[in-house]
Amino acid sequence: MDKQLKQGMLRKSRWLCVVAILFTSLTISVISSCSSIDCPVQNTVSVQYEIRDKAGNALPLTDTLSIVTTRKDGSDILLDITTHFSDKDVILNRLTGESAFSLPISYSHPEDILYFCFSDSAKTLVDTVWIKKDDIPRFESVDCSAAFFHELTNVRHTHNAIDSLVLINTSVTYDVQTVHFYLYPKTGN
Amino acid sequence: MMSKPFISISIRKLVISLLLLISASASAQLKFFSIQKDSIPFFRGFAVSFDVVGLAMMELSDYGQYEGALRINLHDEWFPIVELGYGKASHTDDPVTQIRYETAAPYFRIGIDKNLLKEKHGPYRLYAGLRYAFTSYKVDVSRDTFDDPVWLWDTSFGVKDDQCSYHWLEIALGADATIWGPLHLGWSVRYKRRIAHNDGTIGRTWYVPGFGVDGDTRLGGTFNVIIDI
Repeated sequence: MDKQLKQGMLRKSRWLCVVAILFTSLTISVISSCSSIDCPVQNTVSVQYEIRDKAGNALPLTDTLSIVTTRKDGSDILLDITTHFSDKDVILNRLTGESAFSLPISYSHPEDILYFCFSDSAKTLVDTVWIKKDDIPRFESVDCSAAFFHELTNVRHTHNAIDSLVLINTSVTYDVQTVHFYLYPKTGN
Repeated sequence: MMSKPFISISIRKLVISLLLLISASASAQLKFFSIQKDSIPFFRGFAVSFDVVGLAMMELSDYGQYEGALRINLHDEWFPIVELGYGKASHTDDPVTQIRYETAAPYFRIGIDKNLLKEKHGPYRLYAGLRYAFTSYKVDVSRDTFDDPVWLWDTSFGVKDDQCSYHWLEIALGADATIWGPLHLGWSVRYKRRIAHNDGTIGRTWYVPGFGVDGDTRLGGTFNVIIDI
């Protein structure tokens, strides 16, 4: 009777071992197969500008606005504000009829220099804008590309066509709803 | 005039039903937490165990953990447990993002299991349990210098020794069986829930020692080799 009991126990133990090994394999495969890529859907970091009149209302551009910057290789590029996120080549941009736009911001350069070119049929007025910032590396996951958030620390500009450029929000993140600058053009331009 | 007694009877029935329900629930709760009365001593010894799944993960992927546990056996019913581990991740050759992520740190879990089987003193056990877990760890995130996509400036990315911490809870469901003498084999499935965290200065962390990949599945598992001592 004892022998039968022992044999029964041995069979049960073997069966348990097989089940345990199967379970381990299953657990490992489930754990390794359940990994997902968890990158943010909105993963563009850009600076939002809003053009305003002196009363604080949105002011659609009547002139054409193009913005130029200086790259490392020394060439001035014109950034197409509507497509610059997908194309790093030099693009001529003409923005008109809009009261808001967004611009890229350099990953890790302490100061961006931008040339705002306001053109109408008669003339072009150019203002230089210097934006100082702190750059903060942003990590989401090893599956997501390297990104930077920024803390805008100072802005100064010339006054040919721009009356003032006011820094409203200093933190530049994935949030494209937050306006960072109010741009007040000079009246009569 | 006739409706009053009916309302009163209904309320009385409702109150009695509620009282019965509460008392039944309370007695069930008391039964759950009580220790079965028999001739088996209350203190049944210690058991040590180590986890094979974390070890296999360490061998098969970029991350994993070495983990052991010390468990106290109280009358084969309640099992207070401390789990200690050392989690490690070394993701160094990502072909797409080229981001390197490295961390290595100890962690612990503390909790209790309850044997749910009616036959408490048999060779098999079915557990349900709860754990609190914590780890404090440092991460290195880096990437080779690359060009800014618009300005083309050389850009370096990363942090070194970024201090992070993680608190989480785990609900465990598991089983173990006596194989031979003091040797048991057991497995558990864990549902993990983060309760507090500090992701350091760089945004988020990826692998958290003991927890696994942050933001990934909340399920985990262990397969334990257990020895009664």
